[in-house]
Amino acid sequence: MIRLDGITKVFPGVKSLDTVSFEARAGEIHALLGENGAGKSTLIKTIAGAYIPEAGSIEFDGERRAWSSPKEAKDAGIHIIYQELMLFPEMTVAENIFIGEAPRNRLGLIDYRRMYARAAEALERLGHNLDPRALIKDLSVADQQMVEIAKALVGETKLLVLDEPTAVISGREAELLFDRVKRLRDQGVCIIYISHRLEEIFAIADRVTVLKDGQYVGTREIGDLNRDQLVAMMVGRELADIFPATKGARTDAAPALAVRNLQAPPKVKNVSFDLYPGEILGLAGLVGAGRSEVAHAIFGSMPRTDGAVTLGGEAFNTPTPRAAIDRGLGFLTEDRKGEGLMMLLDMAANVTAPVLPEFTNGLGLDRGHEVLAAEDEIKRFRIAIPGPKYGVKQLSGGNQQKILFGRWTRACRRVLILDEPTRGVDVGAKVEIYEIIRKLADEGVGILVISSELPEIVGLCSRVLVMREGLITGEVSGGDINEETIMQHATASVGADAA
Amino acid sequence: MALTDIQPRARRLPLDPSLIIVVLLLAGVVIAGLSLSDRFGTLRNFTNVLEQASALGFASLGQALVVIVGGIDLSIGAIVTASTVLMASVVELHPALMIPMIFGTLAFGALIGFINGYVTIKTGVHPLIVTLGTASILNGAVLIFTLQPTGGVPFWFEEFAYGRIGAVMPISGLVMLICFALAWGFLRYTSTGRAFYAVGGSPEAARLTGIRSNRITLMAYSASGFFAAMAGAYFVSRTGVGDPRVGDPITLASITPVILGGLILGGGKGNILGVLLGVFLISLLSNLLNYMNVSTFIQWVIQGLIIIFAVSIYVHKGKKL
Amino acid sequence: MTEIAARSGGEPFAAKLQQFAVPIALVALMGVATAVQPSFLSPNNLQDILTQAAPLALVVLGQAFVILVRGLDLSVASLMASVAVLATAFNATSDAMIPVIFVAAVAVSAAVGLINGLLVTKRNVSPFLATLAMMIVLQGIRFYYTQGSPSGSLPEGFRFLGAGQMLGIPVNVLALALSFAVLGWLLHKSSFGRKIYITGGNPVAADLVGIRSHRVIIACYMISSVMAGIAGLFLVGFVGTVDNWVGRGYELDAIVACVIGGVALTGGRGTLWGAAAGALILVLIFNIVIILGLPVQAQLMIKGLIIIIAAALFARAQRA
Repeated sequence: MIRLDGITKVFPGVKSLDTVSFEARAGEIHALLGENGAGKSTLIKTIAGAYIPEAGSIEFDGERRAWSSPKEAKDAGIHIIYQELMLFPEMTVAENIFIGEAPRNRLGLIDYRRMYARAAEALERLGHNLDPRALIKDLSVADQQMVEIAKALVGETKLLVLDEPTAVISGREAELLFDRVKRLRDQGVCIIYISHRLEEIFAIADRVTVLKDGQYVGTREIGDLNRDQLVAMMVGRELADIFPATKGARTDAAPALAVRNLQAPPKVKNVSFDLYPGEILGLAGLVGAGRSEVAHAIFGSMPRTDGAVTLGGEAFNTPTPRAAIDRGLGFLTEDRKGEGLMMLLDMAANVTAPVLPEFTNGLGLDRGHEVLAAEDEIKRFRIAIPGPKYGVKQLSGGNQQKILFGRWTRACRRVLILDEPTRGVDVGAKVEIYEIIRKLADEGVGILVISSELPEIVGLCSRVLVMREGLITGEVSGGDINEETIMQHATASVGADAA
Repeated sequence: MALTDIQPRARRLPLDPSLIIVVLLLAGVVIAGLSLSDRFGTLRNFTNVLEQASALGFASLGQALVVIVGGIDLSIGAIVTASTVLMASVVELHPALMIPMIFGTLAFGALIGFINGYVTIKTGVHPLIVTLGTASILNGAVLIFTLQPTGGVPFWFEEFAYGRIGAVMPISGLVMLICFALAWGFLRYTSTGRAFYAVGGSPEAARLTGIRSNRITLMAYSASGFFAAMAGAYFVSRTGVGDPRVGDPITLASITPVILGGLILGGGKGNILGVLLGVFLISLLSNLLNYMNVSTFIQWVIQGLIIIFAVSIYVHKGKKL
Repeated sequence: MTEIAARSGGEPFAAKLQQFAVPIALVALMGVATAVQPSFLSPNNLQDILTQAAPLALVVLGQAFVILVRGLDLSVASLMASVAVLATAFNATSDAMIPVIFVAAVAVSAAVGLINGLLVTKRNVSPFLATLAMMIVLQGIRFYYTQGSPSGSLPEGFRFLGAGQMLGIPVNVLALALSFAVLGWLLHKSSFGRKIYITGGNPVAADLVGIRSHRVIIACYMISSVMAGIAGLFLVGFVGTVDNWVGRGYELDAIVACVIGGVALTGGRGTLWGAAAGALILVLIFNIVIILGLPVQAQLMIKGLIIIIAAALFARAQRA
């Protein structure tokens, strides 16, 4: 159905795709696999006509094509469901389904009656009952995703691409999605399915293609592979080499952070736990379970409605980020670009941001002092940057992340909350970051790691809390920590757990 | 929910929730007007208000279209001014060109709008700056041409402003209402119209959904220029001359009804009928305050407070300037 | 002064050009002016130009603070005129009243800035609309108070502010230099300045590193208003009479000057030096138009062209 040959796409300074070839057939589910930054999204956007490749050719449905805009690809029958859903929140379900090609009456005007009826029909075919007149902004993420799939159903879709569709939905909803996707395959649609969850790949894919660092690694029949072989293709080394050998253990000291009945609606319903000095505590769960919100509520960047937090033995109940930082609590957020780095400022300014008073003397900011401090961090974390006065925008994800480690370890020595600490970081840098986390724990810092990468949680943590729908549904520690147990807690229905 | 449950239900309430505030304010003004002034409620007064509202109506309609796609047009006043001068001075020299010049002036406005849109798209500069620049260039050019009101048009053209159909309906007001109706129908019943909201909601998502965002943006700015020229034609009709200052207050004035109507700067949302109600609200309010002998100066204060009141009430997310 | 702004390795030519574009433009314009009129570079003429530029430059320095935190202040010109009217409201005849007038003007201006800032941060009103509304409200109050034509009087000493000299230097140029020094220190050398850049560059991250971004933003609006208030007093001193439209058009000129000087409307980018240079460039262009014998209105056209071109160049450089 689609054949890409020798595709190369270059962004300023980065070769995002390097002579990648890829081919998928009608009536198959073809998984596209690779770590963050492997080039999957770039490849998808090339297929979609959103990026124009520097070299290589695209053949679709037997014809050689060179898209100049997403519209051309769409008109040819390619439908892409991006991770960030392309829906318009102020419009209704039906309007979104028919965006750009609404049914019209004889006068050429939009026929709303027919549009709503056909939207209802498409949703019906999906087996998903939604009011076509509901506004997108009032729907859950899973429902929004179903709207995206319904969009694919009303057009003449020959190729459907799903980019990490299960990142935002859970158990039953995911099964429903798989069912729908398989049904479409049986109707002859070519489906490209992107995910990094191996279980899913084995459950639904017919073939799999692996990308790594912008290069093509290989394509296999799913039946010819086992899990370890697939991982080896993805990361280029065995998992055992990645994580530090020792895991810190909970000590007898008093907890560094104690959280009791924390509530921050709508995402955090009731959360209690203790974090000890020197401990690496994992917080697992599906995206949307409320993990990041717990961190924000503790740190003071999101209002709490109830609950008590004790930090280093002292009550911390009128929280603001400023107060948290002053008490030694740091929070390395999930969205490095949006919530972490200041892209317009140099590296030194990024490091000292939470502790400006330390670098202020009678004449104002002590720039020399600041630069020296930043140089220390460059050495300590082996950050690949020419110097503290250089910008952070062009750096790789791993180096950017290390700068944020420099920022927070300098500012906060008691507790660090790390939200997705290795997102968008290559394998080499991951190993370094795991070592940094290990070392910080050894120095007595209590560390809370939020991560969606289960191998990371399993390899790093001595104790794991699992969240679902704003509640902690399980705690595992020591030898009991494995991916299956965590997933069970993460997807178990809350009611059943309580029973 | 089964298919049959959905079909028969009529379109929600006739009243869009975002219109509630402007409707309530409008009702307040009307009630106050009827109880405070004998003249306010007369048919003659409503005819006059409708006629005088048409300039603001045209300008706000254009502004609203640009705001829906996520932009802003600060050149509306300058286009109004330039249109009046262009039309009146050409027609004075060649009175036979009156009718072609009506279309010529409208095309001129649309062209300036098109340039605004084109420069915005090609340079990536904030529309605030681009349209401010265009306004400055146009105003400069007009003032070099003339510092005084100039030109003249055939007497019959004043019918556009002063003409009444059936002694009640002013022609200009009727044209304005028709323009709003057409814009409403366009935004609601055509795919291109729906695309205005999509582009304003998220230009990138719109592009990836296969909408030609740039084309939509160009259309919105061109329409804004077109309607500004309409307002210019109204002023020429009313005064018979081209006035190099007439458009100055229009630019900022055109924004108030847009905000009152529940549109948000940043785009993607809002009902154009709300803008029309906003135009009526402003026009009736100043009409009423005039009857009550409230000074223009106090009216300014009230206008400023209304803007703050309106924007504070509508919830604003994702603000962009 | 730009040192905390990021330097990127192997930056493209366009980005380098951006850094030097403003001084190059300034020098080039002076060259053009000298070519047309050789006496342009005489100390007297330069002093005249600075004197003319001072009130606008004072407003521009304040405006830059607001734009750096992703804001916009359209109320400055209206505030200038309102402060001028306020000054006459004392009907003072003795120069001893000048400090009182000054304090009153600064206090009123600070209050206006506080309201702007509160609307923008606490009520989440867009800066454009909040300050637009403030502009209209101030205008209404001012006209209502004066009933259309100001009638109060100013002490004789006020002329000194606009036209007087100290140590051979015009007083308003001294005030500009002093403001530039103080605000330059604040923006580029103090930790408050750093907080401005962090807040303007990434407001979400600012809150998460413990910076109270609302306070920073409110302070910037207050700085803008106070600078506008002071500029209003100097402008009245310069012009010598008060009318309801003192400073008319300065709000847009101030934004134009900032944009020409490389202060980006998207926030977090630009320097005080750039903003001041932008103001000088604008005034130089106005002067060259006069020297060339072009109609005054040509200033408007050139201003419009220049702001679009400058903004387009900076936008291109930032994308590279």
